[in-house]
Parts: sequence; structure tokens; C-alpha cells
Amino acid sequence: TGKQVLAMPSIRKKARELGIDISQVAGSGPRGRITLEDLENFQAGGAKQEA
Amino acid sequence: MVVGDFATEVDVLVVGGGPGGYVAAIRAAQLGKKVTLVDKAELGGVCLNRGCIPSKALIHAADEVNKMKNASHMGIEVDGVKLDFPKTIQWKDQVVKKLTGGVGQLLKGNKVEVVQGEVYFSGENTVKVATEDNSTTYQFEHCILATGSRPTQIPSLPFDGEKIISSTEALNLQAVPEKLIVVGGGYIGLELGTAYAKLGAEVTILEGTDSLLPGTDPGMVRMVKRNLKKLGVDVVTNAMVQGADTSGNGVTVTAEVKGEEKTFSADKVLVSVGRTPNTDELGLEHAGIELDGRFVPTDKQMRTKNERIFAIGDIAGQPMLAHKASYEGKVAAEAIAGEPSEVDYRAMPYVIFSDPELAYTGLTEQEAKEQGYDVSVSRFSFAANGRALSLDAADGYFQVVADKETKQIIGAQIVGPEASSLISEVVLAIEMGANAEDIALTIHAHPSLPETFMEAAEGIVGNAIHMVNK
Repeated sequence: TGKQVLAMPSIRKKARELGIDISQVAGSGPRGRITLEDLENFQAGGAKQEA
Repeated sequence: MVVGDFATEVDVLVVGGGPGGYVAAIRAAQLGKKVTLVDKAELGGVCLNRGCIPSKALIHAADEVNKMKNASHMGIEVDGVKLDFPKTIQWKDQVVKKLTGGVGQLLKGNKVEVVQGEVYFSGENTVKVATEDNSTTYQFEHCILATGSRPTQIPSLPFDGEKIISSTEALNLQAVPEKLIVVGGGYIGLELGTAYAKLGAEVTILEGTDSLLPGTDPGMVRMVKRNLKKLGVDVVTNAMVQGADTSGNGVTVTAEVKGEEKTFSADKVLVSVGRTPNTDELGLEHAGIELDGRFVPTDKQMRTKNERIFAIGDIAGQPMLAHKASYEGKVAAEAIAGEPSEVDYRAMPYVIFSDPELAYTGLTEQEAKEQGYDVSVSRFSFAANGRALSLDAADGYFQVVADKETKQIIGAQIVGPEASSLISEVVLAIEMGANAEDIALTIHAHPSLPETFMEAAEGIVGNAIHMVNK
């Protein structure tokens, strides 16, 4: 499986519901954890993962 | 379909009432679908009727007997433990009946129609369901295939149900065999072999590879081997079974062991070399489904090549575990209802009800290194855990594998009491992306077995209290 994005199961589910590819989201939480806010910011056009 | 051939229309047709099928049926019904579940035998499938539950019941009974016989060091002298084995089997049957009855009620409560019959595909979205005296055609909008698996038969030892038996018969014996040969040292053979040894049988395990529980971390298996030896179980590895002679009173198995032909005699032979998915005899080709080996290939939503049809559980690939089937059942049902569900887990728990129990999830140290991790490993022994000692079950350890830099938990291997329960906290930790510090800072009840996870996690952080840090 390798290193994966850090996000709780409910956040991963929320990303799917919002149609967001979670691997593209930059996490603002501890150790890069993706939060609900990160998803919302991402949808608003911000906080993209650096390439 | 022939013109005039009446077809019953259903939203979702679930084929199979095992832990994948019934869970899928309930979730689909919760999401407003009209669901029909067809099973050829009984609700609950293999897990409830011929697998997980009956085997654990038998293992529990065997453990009770074994404890009574080995309690003198605690000052408990039991004089002549008597075993009424038919009654043990009856008790096990009652446990099964309670649970399968519960499944029936849940399905009813969720308005799932249950039909007993055999399913055969007659087209892309039609099946024929053959019951004892008639055949009905069903036309479905969506179908969830959950037909499960059956014990694998080997040509040199065909099942006869009497002397050469599968796990199914081994869970329904009316007497404890005096001598039992177990062919296959995987978890099923090991669990049942251990149980019968505790119930008084003289057990020999013949394993084809060079180790018991092939595929399991050898460090975990070591302690199991030691206890088997204590129980008097003879484990023969590198044993290639050639055939069996059932003409006499018992049965004699011939096997090639390291190039030498040897014979083993017993009352019964339990063949447990694996399980075969039930993907044949369904007419899947009529539905446009091709197999990959014996499994049905699916995408992340458990959808097959026929987009109306989903496949879950043992027929959808390894690992063949009940909790994996149930998880996939929910994913399939939700996908059918239009939800964006997909298979997305970080950790799968594996549990073996051996003595001591084994449980693992995520990566081993070796696997983590292979995947490029800089690894940190910490092992806490049950011998240093007060609860384990008070339970007289201090064999084993709780080992945590973490990423060295972030201390994120990426795996665990547990050998010891209640390993099957202890693994759940690790699975949650991995799903939540917890690191060792998160676990170390979580208060664990004292005295309890889960404290060993906290201690092992503290070992990763470098501040364990009840062991000397590396």
C-alpha cells in the first residue's frame, strides 16, 4: 500500500461525497492530516498539494 | 427470455445469505431498495453455520476442558473431567441457531424477501431460481453475488464425509476421535486440530510447506508451535500427502516426508488445505462475467464487468474473511443506491484462534522495510502485564511497527491472550492515522490486556515504564 494520505475514515468518505481526489489535498493538521476544513478549502479552490 | 415467460422484478437480488450477502441485503434495504435474498441452504452462510461461529464455540469448550485439567498450580484440583461430547455439539448448535435466527429477524425487520433456492443466470439481468418443486425467473435491476466458498478437495484425499472429512463434518462429530490427522497446517486445520487435541484426541498435523501457518510472520508462530508440543500434537512439515486407505477400521494416510514415504493412521482425516470460491455452476458466463482464476474480478465498488452485477466476499478474492465480506457488502449496496462508496481501508485485521491466539494487521517489520519505511519496532511482553499474569496467560507479546520519523503506527503483531480483541484498537489507530504518542497518551484501564498496546507504543516513543527502553 505504501505511504498514504493521512485522513480519518469519515474524512475520506466526505472527500468521495464531495467528488474530491483526496490525494490532491494538502493536510493542515498534525503530520499533514487532512481535516474537514481542508476539504472545504480545497473545494473553494485553495490548499492544493504541491506537485 | 421467452415471450410470456413471467419474471418477478426486483431492485436488488442478493445471491447468498452469508456475512457478505445478508449485510448487503440489509444495507440495500436501508437505502430504500426492494431486496430479495436467495440462498440455497441456510441464512448466515458458512460463517454462522459451518465456519467462524461453530469453530469458536468448539474451541471455547475445548479451552474450558483444558483449563480444568491444568489448574492444579492455582490450587484447583479437578478429579476426572467428564466430557459429554454430543451435548457440547448440541450447545454449539444452539449458539448457531440463535445467531441465524437473529439474521432471519433482521432481514424480515428490514423487509428483505428471503427465498430458498439455487440460482442460475439465464441472461444479463435474469436468473432462474430453482426450488425443490419449481423454478422462478427473476429480473433484477442490480444483483449482488455473495456465494462464498467451500472446502477445497484434493484428488488424493477425496471427502467421504466419514473418514475423510472437511471442516464442516469436523464441527459436527458425535465423538472425539481417538486419533485425528489434519492435512493442512493453515488456520482452519490448526484451530480445529488444537481444539480436538484439548478434547483428548491424539492429533497429527501434516503440512506441505516447511512451516505451520504459511504466510504468517514466523516469529508469531513460534509460540503456537511450543504449545502444540505441550499438547502432544505432532506437527510434520514438508509432508506431501499421496493418498489414503480407508478399507480397514480407520484410515491410513501415506505421505512423502522429505523424500521418504511414511504412513500415518487415525480414525479420521480432516482435510483443510484451503477454500474454493463458489463461482462454478452459476452460469456466470450468461451474465457476461469472466473469472480470474476462480475469483470474480471487481472494481473498487465491487462491480463486475457486468455493471448491474456486484461480487463480494470469498468469490471476490483474498483474503477470505467474514469481516471483509461484510465490508464489501455495504460498499456494493451503497454503490447500487448511488452513494460514492468504495473499498477504502487502511488496515485489515487477521485473527487466528490458536493457542495462544494470533492477530495481526498492517505491515510487519519486514514488509515495512520492503515498502521503503525507516522502521521502528517495539515489543511488549505479556509476562510484564499484570492482567495477563492474573489470567494465567502470560505467553506472548504485543508488537508495534511504526514509521521511525513520524512514529505513525503502520502495523502490529499480537501473540497472546485475547489477541483477537486487542487487534481492534490497532486497526482504529491505523485508520485514524494515530502515531505511537497518541496511543501512549491515551489512558488504558489498569489492570487490563490493552495496556500492552500503550506500553509497546511508549517503547516506540522511547519512554516505556514497564520495560527497559532500547
